[in-house]
Amino acid sequence: MSEQKSKEKKPSYTEFTLDMFSRSSGKNHAEIKQFNQWREDVISADKYTFETPHLTPQTPEIVVRRIHGDEHRLFNFSSYNYLGYANHPEVINAAKDALDKFGLGATGSPLLNGTFDIHKQLEHALTEFFGQEGYGISLFSSGYGANIGVVSSYIHKGDYVVLDHSSHASLIDGAVMSQGTLKLFRHNDAEFLERILKRIAKDNRRILVCVEGVYSTDGDYGNLKDIVTVTKKYGASILVDEAHSLLVAGASGQGAVEKFDVLGDVDLLIGTFSKSFGGVGGCLYAKQELINYMNYYARSRMFSCALDPAVTGGILKALELATGPDGYAKRKRIVENADHLRSLLINKVDIGTSQSWVIPIIFGDERKSIPLADYLMRKGYDFSIMMFPAVKKNKSIIRAFVTSEHTKEQLEGCAEALIDASKEYDFAL
Amino acid sequence: MTEQVAVDNLIIWEFDFAMTTFYEVDTDLITPLLPKQISPMEIVPGVSLLNITAFNFPEGGLGYLPNFQELIASIVVTPDLSRGVPKFAMYIFSLGSTCQEHLDHSTDYYKLPSYKKLEYGKINRADNAIEFGDTDGPILTMNNCSTNIGDFLGHERYFQAFVLQDDNLFIADLYLKAALFEHQDQGDAGIINNHPFLKGLELFDEERVPYLQMLLEPGTRGKQFYYKPEKYG
Ligand SMILES: Cc1ncc(COP(=O)(O)O)c(C=O)c1O
Repeated sequence: MSEQKSKEKKPSYTEFTLDMFSRSSGKNHAEIKQFNQWREDVISADKYTFETPHLTPQTPEIVVRRIHGDEHRLFNFSSYNYLGYANHPEVINAAKDALDKFGLGATGSPLLNGTFDIHKQLEHALTEFFGQEGYGISLFSSGYGANIGVVSSYIHKGDYVVLDHSSHASLIDGAVMSQGTLKLFRHNDAEFLERILKRIAKDNRRILVCVEGVYSTDGDYGNLKDIVTVTKKYGASILVDEAHSLLVAGASGQGAVEKFDVLGDVDLLIGTFSKSFGGVGGCLYAKQELINYMNYYARSRMFSCALDPAVTGGILKALELATGPDGYAKRKRIVENADHLRSLLINKVDIGTSQSWVIPIIFGDERKSIPLADYLMRKGYDFSIMMFPAVKKNKSIIRAFVTSEHTKEQLEGCAEALIDASKEYDFAL
Repeated sequence: MTEQVAVDNLIIWEFDFAMTTFYEVDTDLITPLLPKQISPMEIVPGVSLLNITAFNFPEGGLGYLPNFQELIASIVVTPDLSRGVPKFAMYIFSLGSTCQEHLDHSTDYYKLPSYKKLEYGKINRADNAIEFGDTDGPILTMNNCSTNIGDFLGHERYFQAFVLQDDNLFIADLYLKAALFEHQDQGDAGIINNHPFLKGLELFDEERVPYLQMLLEPGTRGKQFYYKPEKYG
């Protein structure tokens, strides 16, 4: 760099992280122009791997078409179709039956005219699945919608929402919509949480603590036992988002709450149907009187169309399969698969604190993200690449989602590709 | 300082120690410090970033000035992307220095909110730890809280600096060429006292936990290309 020319030099697209385009001062919306410039630069370099259309279902082997038209056959480690129900023949048939019976869309808000018999069947089946007396289910058209609707109708201005630092955007957005005061505690750190609760409990306002069953970037479990204890000590309520753990964690698939035996202490349990169920949608499981209230006052439910009936039929079948022998076998297999992949990677690359089917491979420097995503795709693998601020600075990750459907050979190929990449991109241990 | 001026509106500052920590603070606490035209860049709504940076400028690092230490307090704010895309934009609300001449120049040339001459700026290079204070008492201690220091990356980083002087808002471009290690390990990073240097900002215990730290590679020097501020808006 010539010392005088510093200001004129245009940095490469690798210098940017997405947060850097999120906002700009001034009236001219410069963030839109700068973001599009960055996107164009990545596309012209033929490194663009985002928004790549899939030409096949989310099976372990997929075909995608990149932006310049080239098609790639890939091993799929980027879909959260954990138990393979998104394309299970019985699930598809159930969805088709519901489609024939009820039509394409619900065409109405659930409270007014969008509730179908199949929704009631799903509510009933999920309530039975958790099995606590006096509890019920409220359905939402997405997991995102469930979190924003539930948090924002449970908490109001002047109250508190206390979130784990690794919380999903939908919980944060729910907290913002609630107009309550948002506080963050260090990831899984119950002592840190206690310091916050001790201080804010003095205000004598409602406090909602939000955590997750399995964290979608770190792949570790929520520290549910300790966090529930501290939360109860200060009279706060607890929400557990089981997006990545419902049907997968716990012996019968009730989630991390089952694994850590805290189901009875949880005030609000959130599930999504977009992951292990293989569909789309979300739900709240809570005491029936709270469910009744949410059905009227969660705005993302009240002012949005009900869950698609065909998808609901598929979800119902996925639940039926997951609670039977198929589910037990798949849960066993996904754990074995994840353990196997971890055992192949350990001591070769840094896999952080992963304990689940979500396995982050830490490659560090975010400037490698775009080239690395492209490299892996050209090697025949589809992963998600995540960088700051989704993960910590210089702790950028390749995220691998393991499913029960991956074969041993696919997992071994995956480990080999990751280890090769670690040598090529200098993050081998 | 004229020999440091490479072009009319640019001064190149050479430093041999730099340590910066971003702390998560309540947006409500820092909002009173910000001018109306700019907003904090929150990491999540309600949580903003306070930045404290310490430099050591060796003798000759800045013209004829002697070796001195500088302490800067700023808030991370929404950048102006029409000027380029910075790593961070800061609103600087307090500047302390152990060199009075440097403070005077900073007020005059950079419109910086010079606080006052600091009594001491102790730098422990071996441990990456600092202590600053003045006649009102100790301001802060700050130390590296990462147990495993990783790569020091030497790429150029672009920042924007907003300052307010006489009700006028200014913006300056700033490029850093230095080998820096950045991390987000969350450990004990020292003590920030409720000191007048922070212009009334009072932090809770849990707000002294670092969000991000950057350290200059020991034994190396970095350069800051700091352009003269222009009136903003
Ligand atoms: C923890 C968590 N909660 C909620 C959601 C949102 O779920 P959905 O995609 O079903 O809207 C996600 C999605 O990735 C998630 O990871």
